[in-house]
Amino acid sequence: MKINPIVYGILVITVFFGIILGFQAAGVWSTSGKVDNSGKAIQPSASDPTSIKGWMTLEQVVNTYNVSLADILTQFNLPSTTPVTTAVKDLESDTFDTSALIAWLQSRTIPIEVPTITLEPINPTPVTPQVATEISEVITPLATEHLAPDRTITGKTTFQELLDWGVPNEVFQTIVGEPITDYNLIIKDYAVGKGLAFSDIKTKLQTEIDVLPK
Amino acid sequence: MTTKPNPEQVTPGSLKPKKRGIRAFLTHQTLRRISQIGVASFITYLIIRNAIVGENSGIATTSPEAYCPFGGLETLYKYITTGTSFVSHTHLSNVVMLIAVLVVALLFRSAFCGWLCPLGFLQDLVSKLSGFLQKRIPGLRRGISSLKKKGARLAVLDRYLRYLKYLVLVWAVGGAAVFGFMVFKDFDPWSALISIAEFSFTPGLIVLIITLIASFFIERPWCRYACPLGAASGLLGKLSPTYLKRDADVCTSCKICTKTCPMGLKIHDVSTVKSVDCVTCLECVDACPVNGALEVKIGLPLIGK
Repeated sequence: MKINPIVYGILVITVFFGIILGFQAAGVWSTSGKVDNSGKAIQPSASDPTSIKGWMTLEQVVNTYNVSLADILTQFNLPSTTPVTTAVKDLESDTFDTSALIAWLQSRTIPIEVPTITLEPINPTPVTPQVATEISEVITPLATEHLAPDRTITGKTTFQELLDWGVPNEVFQTIVGEPITDYNLIIKDYAVGKGLAFSDIKTKLQTEIDVLPK
Repeated sequence: MTTKPNPEQVTPGSLKPKKRGIRAFLTHQTLRRISQIGVASFITYLIIRNAIVGENSGIATTSPEAYCPFGGLETLYKYITTGTSFVSHTHLSNVVMLIAVLVVALLFRSAFCGWLCPLGFLQDLVSKLSGFLQKRIPGLRRGISSLKKKGARLAVLDRYLRYLKYLVLVWAVGGAAVFGFMVFKDFDPWSALISIAEFSFTPGLIVLIITLIASFFIERPWCRYACPLGAASGLLGKLSPTYLKRDADVCTSCKICTKTCPMGLKIHDVSTVKSVDCVTCLECVDACPVNGALEVKIGLPLIGK
């Protein structure tokens, strides 16, 4: 069957863009790794440094992995004046890139050692070897977990922890600007929810913590 | 009694009437150029916006990389095996673009390459510029003509070089699957072009420059010899029901079709154009002076009847 070249062209264009628009209408479409399908900003995972992307800022790394900016700059011989808002990929050099940062952060995480427990047989004297019921359960170690140094605010610190460390209620209420009703709230989540800069709050609170007697 | 021939009547074997005015404009080639310009303009807009706004601002900008169908092919293995993650620099949009290209290939052969691909369009532009300059500069015309005559001796080389794109395809897709990142990216002229504002000197930039210079002498050199997406699209297009049919009974063997083919296919020699290299730009159909000598047909896949 013969087909007119103009009709052929229209069909090509219609099918191509029709498929793309169809997927977009169905919600199967994302053009950025910075936001998920619902438009929510993607954050690095505290338990998995490999989730760090080149576009993420040093601030995100500092807040998530409980590492100071000074430590990163010193470790990779980066200029001490580097702003915390700089993207990781913008600092790439012979001595520093995303994979080097990931490797360094991984080496800083402390694995929690969980002993392997083997349970003894329930029936130590089986009637016949064929019906012996031996239960051997091996508890696998937990995933590598990130441990924060003592009294250091991280992206997972709660207001209750501040109270436990001896920070007076009035002090952090003055810093955040309003009374805290739920002390189990994670400070970072609170700051994000209120549209406040977590790094500013963190710096002020950390200053207060550092002057407290140990 | 003789019947006066109707100039509007189209009979197989009759010469096509010369189109004038608006009818000369309303052709499938105009539609093709409009679609190519549309896609190229959109990508250019993304490149400029990304360069101006930047990726580190609060506004999430879309990189032109997100619209590359070949990125979808490179990330496909990881996406299928993990279900959620992609190789770096690729997103769900790349996979959707790939699906669109492959469906088009299944239905209309490598029509994406001929009708939509901006890199193919860029090569077309350089070739048109070359033709324009050759018409006005006789010395250049003679020089390129002489080069083409010498190059004709390398026709065997041309035949084998066309297989290079399959090696590139295996390397790029296989490499991404094995190593988990885009091994081809630094050598990709398209990647170099969309990252041109970053002023990064990569092997891909050299490949891009070579491609554009070569386009001055040969039409669509990247598509002919090295494009991995074209290779995948061409192979899948073998299953397409559409094909070009040359009617030997009415064909005058003027070879205009072969001369106008940007992919350098010998159309006048075959009865059915089913080459994997055909980008279905239909320039041959447009150039053919005889009605019914060269037509787009729909038939049974693989058989072509």
